[in-house]
Amino acid sequence: MSILATKDTHVVIQGGVAGVNAARRMAEFRYMIKQPLNVSAFVYPPDAGKTYEIVCGTELVAIPIYKTVADATANHPEINTSLVYIGANRAYEGTMDALNDPKIKTVSMITEGVPEKDAKLLGKHARKLGKTFNGPSSIGVVSAGECRLGVIGGAFDNLVACKLYRPGSFGVITKSGGLSNEIIWICSQFADGITTAIGIGGDAYPGTDYVSYLEMFENDPQTKAVVIVGEMGGDLEESAAEWYGAKKRRIKLLAVVSGFCQESLPKGMKFGHAGAKEGLKGEGSARAKSDALKKAGALVPDTFGALGPAIKATHEELLKSGVIKAIPDLAPSDVPRLPKTVAEAKKDGEVLVEPLIRSTISDDRGDEPLYQGYPASELINAGYDIPHIIGLLWDNRLVSRQEAEIIKRIIMLSADHGPCVSGALTTVIAACAGIGLSQAVAAGMIMIGPRFGGAVTDAGRWFKYAIDQKLTVEDFLAYMKQNVGPVPGIGHRVKSLKNPDKRVKELVGYVKSLGIKTPHLDFALEVEKITAVKKDNLILNVDGTMAAVLVDIGFPVDSLNGFFILARTIGMIGHWTDQKRQGSRLIRLFDYLVNYASPKRREVPPLQ
Amino acid sequence: MAKVLEGPGMGLLRKWGISTPNYVVVTSNDEFEELSKVNDWLKKSKLVVKAHEALGSRFKLGLVKVGLDLAAAKAAVKEMLGKKVESVTIREVIVSEAIDHKEEYYASVKSTRDGVDVMVTTYGGIEVEENWEKVKKLSVEIGESPSDAQLSALAKDAGFSGDTATKMAEFLKKLYICFDNEDAQYLEINPVVQNSNGHLVALDAVTLLDGDAKFRHKDWTFPFAAEFGRAYTKNEEEVMAVDAKVKGSVKLIEIPGGNIAMLPAGGGASVYYSDAVVARGGKLANYAEYSGDPPDWAVEVLTEKVCSLPNIKHIIVGGAIANFTDVKKTFGGIINAFRKAKGEGKLKGVKIWVRRGGPNELQGLAAMRALQDEGFDIHVFDRTTPLTDIVDMAMAAK
Repeated sequence: MSILATKDTHVVIQGGVAGVNAARRMAEFRYMIKQPLNVSAFVYPPDAGKTYEIVCGTELVAIPIYKTVADATANHPEINTSLVYIGANRAYEGTMDALNDPKIKTVSMITEGVPEKDAKLLGKHARKLGKTFNGPSSIGVVSAGECRLGVIGGAFDNLVACKLYRPGSFGVITKSGGLSNEIIWICSQFADGITTAIGIGGDAYPGTDYVSYLEMFENDPQTKAVVIVGEMGGDLEESAAEWYGAKKRRIKLLAVVSGFCQESLPKGMKFGHAGAKEGLKGEGSARAKSDALKKAGALVPDTFGALGPAIKATHEELLKSGVIKAIPDLAPSDVPRLPKTVAEAKKDGEVLVEPLIRSTISDDRGDEPLYQGYPASELINAGYDIPHIIGLLWDNRLVSRQEAEIIKRIIMLSADHGPCVSGALTTVIAACAGIGLSQAVAAGMIMIGPRFGGAVTDAGRWFKYAIDQKLTVEDFLAYMKQNVGPVPGIGHRVKSLKNPDKRVKELVGYVKSLGIKTPHLDFALEVEKITAVKKDNLILNVDGTMAAVLVDIGFPVDSLNGFFILARTIGMIGHWTDQKRQGSRLIRLFDYLVNYASPKRREVPPLQ
Repeated sequence: MAKVLEGPGMGLLRKWGISTPNYVVVTSNDEFEELSKVNDWLKKSKLVVKAHEALGSRFKLGLVKVGLDLAAAKAAVKEMLGKKVESVTIREVIVSEAIDHKEEYYASVKSTRDGVDVMVTTYGGIEVEENWEKVKKLSVEIGESPSDAQLSALAKDAGFSGDTATKMAEFLKKLYICFDNEDAQYLEINPVVQNSNGHLVALDAVTLLDGDAKFRHKDWTFPFAAEFGRAYTKNEEEVMAVDAKVKGSVKLIEIPGGNIAMLPAGGGASVYYSDAVVARGGKLANYAEYSGDPPDWAVEVLTEKVCSLPNIKHIIVGGAIANFTDVKKTFGGIINAFRKAKGEGKLKGVKIWVRRGGPNELQGLAAMRALQDEGFDIHVFDRTTPLTDIVDMAMAAK
């Protein structure tokens, strides 16, 4: 047995993020006691109609979100309790809705900073309706082995350490959230644990006072003793003392009150919770409260530290008198455990996971990316450059200074080719249509293919084939004619022998000047000698030149188009920003640029 | 609770139809000079000049001057502005009109658990303290208003008669309406006096508002004043500014003369820690508290302030077993500030005592313990050590 939060409690949570977090904590508790989640619904208008996913053990449970409390209780008639996590400036209305719902019997308000007047009005309304309004600023309520409302009790390990998976004999009522957890822990270590622990909140006027809960505990046969953690200010502790002293009570009462330090502080200096204030005329001091509780017969240790031994003594007395029996500890194998996440289990060496992908180039799990194991910052500081990163990421190797220079020149020569070519033109059209940078560049990228810029890989492949197969130029051309078609990397739309491509000249000249072995480039130039004779625009183009050079310095065939794509990205970004900077307007083709060869206007025949 | 200084307090009373003396709050001599050109009452009336700061016993400190003409008032304003009293520089002065009167009454409205108490007596001014039993009280339930008949009966019961009783009942009604609409927690008018026309005038007011209700009072543009009879220190103001910004809370009150610095977690536990220090004969150097899982940088700022308190011998980093405050994260903030303070040459000979539990407690406590290797005199305990035992150990340590 327990009070307020029981195995029959079904909850609606009012509020967003904080409420979801509470639901997760509540799900952990329910998993510990092997029960399904007792949160039936959320009320959070911005997300109404959606669901929140709550982890329950090894499963995800979808909890529906409603616009109003009435919607929630209509769809989930089992709901009898509301937890309020709404911001202080809107909490009053939401809490009133909950109180006014006939299905809801208990409302616990977690919201902090609620205006005093609002809290008083809510408390009065609840009393009028005969309902329980707990809070504001409540950490929540927990009944061992039955139900947790809110985050009270903390992390899962703490729930287990405090033996909250099964009831003990002690009730707990505190204003402070942190101390509720402390007392739960003390009760589990010095005695047999708790039945129910309630945080009533540290505000000046909590909705429900100690006395209401003491009455409930008095009527709960499982609870044998109650621990109150009070503080100076107000008169709730005095009322509790009055209740306890009024007649013979079944439960034993233990209490501590904070605020003795006030006696030796400069006058008027107050601190702690909002409610922790001596009255203007000195009433409500820690001493007055302690004395009142002692006088009523409660056990009041002098310090918080002495509370543990006092709880222990009470527990032993209860055992000795036969009121309770000792509860044996669980065998270690029976102690509840939360399922581990894959990451945790992996860390603990308990599972083998088959990887989904394999990567051989980079790793950013540390504090900076590693390229082939080299930290990026160290590469920078050692004087390496962009071409070296390309070498590491595209070919798993550190290229030489000379190779890096060739790569750099290739990129510089291919970075852009004006706005008229397929790629740049498409990017410009997209930019003028108001398309964003990444999409506009991607549109230009799509143009790179067999006819525009995408011949580098194929050119490299066939030149490499020729060298690998030790073909003569004539055999190669015959093979290509029969099996492939035009030689990739040969031919240009506008350039010709008479109007040579300066870029090709530049690149060939540079590479030749290095005195390195360039069998593929040499072969390609031999091919050009023959094809250009046949037709003067069948020259070695920039794709073919790049391809031959890159194969010569050892880059794999499949990476070759990447050099053009990378280089031309620079140009496409330039074209997009250029149009953007000018505020260019939407463009379309002029009619005179189209040869309208479709049939003239004519009669539509009747539909057959 | 949030205390409001006289100027804005009187402004709220006037807003709800309660007469107060004419007054101006001035921040410079030139401003007062200009004000005296346009306000006839400044030329005609006897004047009262008071420092407009959160200082207790202003009378004793010579910061209240009465019965002045305009020239004397100007001299008083000049003397007070910029004067340093305790740790406070006087930045504002309130000049108000003296009201000739014979009788002094007392009226107040106070928040109670069930609603409010309206209190009144004919024994106003300094007499009220000795005649507290003569104060008559009307309790009004929350959500209800006192009727005219009830207030009239209250005034008569308190010894008012005839026309004055009627006027006092009206006065109390306005005071109640002001209290209710302004989310006040305490409004005390002492004295209420009758001016030469027979009108009741509020001469002095204590105004405590509910700071939590600020969101629905757009006209609360005034700052709240410290409640403890002194102005906030720079460190306190800086921590308050952080507190206003973050989720959770960080709080600091400095107590001059103490040598035990407090850095505990939790609004409840922090007071038990303070109690333990006082119970063992220690002298608190401050009150501090962080709770509600505040960001690490906020706890770091708080820790920096605590480390810079003068002459401290111990720092108590206590705390109960947290529900949801991340121990590792908040301790991270504390550790950063400790390192910084040590680097600045602070914390020499200071012993640090730690006790805590809660989410990620193992990592948090281990990180604290590791500070021993950096030369900190730090003693770290977990949940198995009772809450305030670290205070006992600190007080027993040499």
